Amino acid sequence: MASELSLSIRSGRPALPAAGSKARPFILQAILLAPVFGWVTAFFLVPIGLMIWRSFAEAGLAPYVTILTSPVYLKVLITTLKICLLTTLGCLALGYPIAYVLTVARPTVRGVVLILVILPYWLDYIVRSYSWMILLGRRGLVNQLALSLGLSERPLSLLYTLFSVSIGMIQILLPLMILTLFGAMLRIDRHLLDAAAIHGASRWRAFRTVFLPLSLPGVYAAGLLVFVSALGFYITPALLGGPEQTMISQTIMVLASDLLNWPLASAAGVLLLVVTTVLLALYNRFFSLDRMFGGVTT
Amino acid sequence: MTRTTIGDIAVNGFVGLVLAFLLFPVLVVVGISFSSAEYLSFPPPSLSLRWYRAIFSNWQWIGAFLLTLQVGGITMVLSSVLGVPAAFALSRYSGRGQGLLNMLILAALITPAVIKAISIYLYYVPLGLLNTVWGLAFAHTVSGIPFVVINVVASLKNYDRNLEHAAIIHGASPVRAALGITIPIVAPGIAVGAVFAFMQSAQELLVAIFVLGTVQKPLSVKLWEGVQVAIDPTIAAATTAVAGLVLLGLLAVMVVNSRTRAAASVA
Repeated sequence: MASELSLSIRSGRPALPAAGSKARPFILQAILLAPVFGWVTAFFLVPIGLMIWRSFAEAGLAPYVTILTSPVYLKVLITTLKICLLTTLGCLALGYPIAYVLTVARPTVRGVVLILVILPYWLDYIVRSYSWMILLGRRGLVNQLALSLGLSERPLSLLYTLFSVSIGMIQILLPLMILTLFGAMLRIDRHLLDAAAIHGASRWRAFRTVFLPLSLPGVYAAGLLVFVSALGFYITPALLGGPEQTMISQTIMVLASDLLNWPLASAAGVLLLVVTTVLLALYNRFFSLDRMFGGVTT
Repeated sequence: MTRTTIGDIAVNGFVGLVLAFLLFPVLVVVGISFSSAEYLSFPPPSLSLRWYRAIFSNWQWIGAFLLTLQVGGITMVLSSVLGVPAAFALSRYSGRGQGLLNMLILAALITPAVIKAISIYLYYVPLGLLNTVWGLAFAHTVSGIPFVVINVVASLKNYDRNLEHAAIIHGASPVRAALGITIPIVAPGIAVGAVFAFMQSAQELLVAIFVLGTVQKPLSVKLWEGVQVAIDPTIAAATTAVAGLVLLGLLAVMVVNSRTRAAASVA
């Protein structure tokens, strides 16, 4: 690899890339990209290929039939989709106003809010789920408040419910929603809002008839991204959910590490992969990648 | 236009509430980690450092911490070495490879962890990479590369390529110009990407359980096991220590960022 690189370096001396022949940039580009492609192939694509093969190897389509017909696994699939949908809608409801405020705010306000939004994003999922266990438990802060305010006679069972899983996942994915929306909203030409104001529109009306429709592509993109991210959640539903809130990642973990049923685990993995890939392909088809990356690099 | 309306107050109040929702759970864990009580209660009855002392005098926790540093360190270096050339290719050339790389990066970022975990396990069994630090770092590098690529591409966007052209006109080879002029200027971008690559490795759980979890336990696995049984604040202290580490990383990134910005404004 190294000698290959130095060879191309020497032969590449005379010309600037812009002035070079057509063939040279292509070779240079291939050399620059080859290591990443090689690595991702060796440690990501080939293993996944192995998993796909493993799902068919022992019993053909039987594992897939089991998953798609057995009520147990169907229930897990439906629960997963339900939790992901709830999480996406919750993130949207909480995130859209923040992203809008970020877009129209003064630079200092914007900086502070952005830091506060990004800060928890880089804390461990385990930490953040754990904190909800403390808050929502029987003797947790929320219950103490509810009891002392007389809102409830006895401690509410908040933990290990659909509510606690959704709250935990919304808290974890909200920064992703806000940053993606914010990246999209920054591209909206704000002069259009001024134009609406000059022509007599109230701020609310300008928002509703100009800004909101223009922001919809960003809403779809961010929603898709949050939904896909939610599909693979393991830690949060395992800590904050009860048996009724079992998500597909948990089922795959149990199949693989406790039951050692690799064909079934692999088949479930393949199904999850198919759904994720289809949604990602949709995302890639309609939204450019830098929209997502705009957030990460702020 | 600039008049404060009821609408403004409502919107600002809402923003405050959502920010509290994002940050309050974190504050709770930090608060409990300094608690003097044997049980989990917030606010803590009084403050103490006993749970931190318990962790930092326990070799299991120290070992887990060192293991995470090793895996994360290797991941960080590998992700940078592989990711920086790719970022150059992405930002300077266009062609089929770019679209493919974009798709791969997105896939590596978003593919559910459980899929990565069981597929890499199946793959490592015949290769003999199970239960090795290198094996775990190799797998984590796949998810670390995107962070390096994204951040370096962003730095290259703001970089004035004429500097490199000037060096070439004065006789430097293109590679020397890239290594001597461009790389130092975009170094902060590389550093940011590398820190992110480290963080994702330190926080990753499922691949770590499958590849390394049964013999040696990195911090994330140790935390995970602790969270499921712990009823005292040890875990809160451990998670806060991890969070503190992350915060330090973020601060380092910000300092690097602001320095470059200052340097750029001087130049």
